[in-house]
Amino acid sequence: MSQLAYIIENDHITAVVTEMVLRKNLRRGEVMHFVNGQAAINQLLISVEKKESIPDLILLDLDMPVMDGWEFLDAFLKLPIAKQVCVFVLTSSIHPHDREKARHYSLVKGFFSKPLDSDSVAWMQQFVQLAGASTRAKRLYATQH
Amino acid sequence: MSTTLTEQYPELAASIAYNPVIYDFLQNSLPDGLWYWNLKQPTQGWVNATFWQTLGYAPDQVPADPAAWRACLNPVDLAAAWQRAEACLQDSTQSVDLVLRGTHREGAPVWLRCRALVLPGDEERPTWLVGALFDVTKEKHREAHAQEVATHYSSILSNQSVYILKTDAQGNYTYVNDFFYERFGHEQDLLGTSSLLSIIEEDRPKCLEVVMQCFQAPGVPHQVILRKPYRDGSIKSNHWEFKGIAGENGELLEILCVGYDVTLLLENLHRAQHLLDVTSQQNLRLQNFAYIISHNIRSHSANLTSLVQLLSEAKSKAQKTMFLQMLTTSTEQLADTIVNLNDIVTINNNVSKPKAARALKTEIDKALEALSVLIRQHHITVEVDVPPTLTLTVVPAYLDSILLNLISNAVKYRALDRPALIRLRAQPTPEGVVLTVQDNGRGIDLAKYQSKLFGMYKTFHDNEDARGVGLFITKNQVEAMQGTIQVESEVGVGSTFTIQFHESA
Repeated sequence: MSQLAYIIENDHITAVVTEMVLRKNLRRGEVMHFVNGQAAINQLLISVEKKESIPDLILLDLDMPVMDGWEFLDAFLKLPIAKQVCVFVLTSSIHPHDREKARHYSLVKGFFSKPLDSDSVAWMQQFVQLAGASTRAKRLYATQH
Repeated sequence: MSTTLTEQYPELAASIAYNPVIYDFLQNSLPDGLWYWNLKQPTQGWVNATFWQTLGYAPDQVPADPAAWRACLNPVDLAAAWQRAEACLQDSTQSVDLVLRGTHREGAPVWLRCRALVLPGDEERPTWLVGALFDVTKEKHREAHAQEVATHYSSILSNQSVYILKTDAQGNYTYVNDFFYERFGHEQDLLGTSSLLSIIEEDRPKCLEVVMQCFQAPGVPHQVILRKPYRDGSIKSNHWEFKGIAGENGELLEILCVGYDVTLLLENLHRAQHLLDVTSQQNLRLQNFAYIISHNIRSHSANLTSLVQLLSEAKSKAQKTMFLQMLTTSTEQLADTIVNLNDIVTINNNVSKPKAARALKTEIDKALEALSVLIRQHHITVEVDVPPTLTLTVVPAYLDSILLNLISNAVKYRALDRPALIRLRAQPTPEGVVLTVQDNGRGIDLAKYQSKLFGMYKTFHDNEDARGVGLFITKNQVEAMQGTIQVESEVGVGSTFTIQFHESA
């Protein structure tokens, strides 16, 4: 089955590079790029409204103008989305405070330092598959009861 | 009045009067000495054996010279005794009762109280003084010791560095030592006035609390630091030890308070605390800066790593060209970042830049001149309300940079739907000059961005030109000159940046 991934990243080169690495490793998948958190939230709102696909995977930068990674996480939690979405932080920050703060969001399944490599993508894949199984199990459970 | 022996036992008295045995017994055993002195010829006289004992002479040590007694008595005191005796002769109601100083065999002074009877003579018979002597040396010593102790304690109480005072159970002064009075007396009598009211108002609850502790646990010292106005009007901090003194039934009678001035100590403590705060702040800034450097350089190095990897794996020529192009952009960005970081390192450098006096108005005019094309192009009204004589002692390059940055921000983020206005104002305050740069532009959502506004690489509007270093550099430059910068802003209304300069620092 095909997967949808968001890249939320304000640096153009990083976004292009990340997209390439992701495409190479995700094979059957679609990748969308947003320059900041707000742009991604806007798209998510439209997708919810029009019942379009919600991403399985979000690669999130922290340091961005307009709406940064933290604000995106807070805004995302308020969206009416039932699907298990795996968010992975991808940052150049090595500030211990950032890693600690990310731990407080159960939504965040991993914290990676740039650049994104194949090993990290493989790691993300496992999470996405688990989350997909869990969402399907929930749906099955809901239809039977 | 008791009866005389003659009245009560006339026979006994008569027998004694003429009994040489009893006479000798009395002569020689009278308390601490018996003394006969010829007032007509003062070198003549006689003392009994106990006189010599009192002065420390054993019977076999008594001097053979019959006039030796004279050398043992103080001549001044002898002269005084002679005068008293003369006075008695003139007026029989007078009596002789005085203290003579003698010298012990070992040299120490001996005080002898002398109660004497004067037997008047005539042409043929000399006038005699008959003195009974009592050794009062011990009493004298005790008195001297008591005097010494009193002097000792009073010198402690009125010392030059510790306050000692007492209050009654109501807190009114019942005793204050000289030192306390000198410093807090205000030329009026303190006794009977309220000690609580002499403390500054903010500290009164603290004082009452300690007094309550004294009531609850008398006899135990309770410590507190209280502030009190000094006679010159300044406020002094004193460290006190309060101790409740209870009566027999356990009720509190008075409070003993011992205190000393800790004003200087506290000031030094505050100074040290301030230094610590400054150092901690600097440390935090440096640490944050280290994270910023690391973050900014890493983000480019990560791109470079990935691009080199992609380039080596690229299959087509077109792909190779694209990656090479991106590689070039990335290295250029890295170079820019390093230039930016270098600017900031230079500002944060601890070596202080030379400061110089600058007329603020002139500097503002220069900055406006530099931006005049943009200002005219966008029809921006600029109001400058700065006294031409107002000067600032600053790092000139920093002031230029701060003014250019704040004014160009105001131009860049002007509102497009209304005529733009920039207003610059400055005025001197006791702390230093305050400069405000106000605009009616797009404003910043401070609820969202307050904590990031002066951060590095933070941009708040979708502006392609924004590098996100301007306000970060401005803040660093202001702080490098010991100033502070603050902002008030409302989205759609405008922003006001306020800089407080601290030139003296």
